[in-house]
Amino acid sequence: MERVELNIPSNPIFERVVRASAAEVGSAIGFSEERVEDLKLAISEAVNNAIDHGNRREAGKLVAVVFEIDGEKLEIRISDQGSGIERFDPSRRVVDEQSLESGHLRGFGMYLISELVDHLEVSTSHRGTVLTLRLYRREEP
Amino acid sequence: MSDIILREEFGDVAILHIASTSVDAISAAAIAAECQEMRPVTVLDFSEVSFINSAGISALLKFVVTARKSGFKLFAINVSPHHQKIFKMVEMVRFMPIIEADDLAAYR
Repeated sequence: MERVELNIPSNPIFERVVRASAAEVGSAIGFSEERVEDLKLAISEAVNNAIDHGNRREAGKLVAVVFEIDGEKLEIRISDQGSGIERFDPSRRVVDEQSLESGHLRGFGMYLISELVDHLEVSTSHRGTVLTLRLYRREEP
Repeated sequence: MSDIILREEFGDVAILHIASTSVDAISAAAIAAECQEMRPVTVLDFSEVSFINSAGISALLKFVVTARKSGFKLFAINVSPHHQKIFKMVEMVRFMPIIEADDLAAYR
């Protein structure tokens, strides 16, 4: 097993650092270009959630991202240092007339993650939240 | 006007060329601010865009909201296959159809 670990401050600019790393890791283990794009988007959403909802952008709180490569499997754990989340909702979220009228224009992140990865786990407690994403290398049709 | 959007206008048409490669939490506010300057036909050009996340989608929805309130038409051009997939997943294409750049010739 090979492992890459990053720790970033709770500032959205550093999400781009994680995203760039994800692209390199995905390419290195042989993911297709489309699979790498899926990986980048899923990790971006998870890291932004950790920064905004977990750590609430508090200076001094870090987001840890661990990539573990095991054969055909890539597992990524994204951990924050917040006080846990009350609700985790990966249900389908699409743009509709009602949300446009009410100005509810956010909340697509967890739905996108759940659609783009092969496996998603959430573990939360008063010590923080950990999202575990798993993607497998697969043949493109 | 910001450096993140380059405007091209002819008649009632505005083409907004997004100059940022990432439509994300960092660029979202500057991109969304341009929705104040829409024309009756507004086209967002994604040819330089290599990444869009949900913060970016929220910024793009500001254009959708403004277009609906004003009775304007909103289109997207030069959307990558990956971003077409994402737009379909969240049903963005219902409110911002993707057209071919050649389709704009009729307006010029």
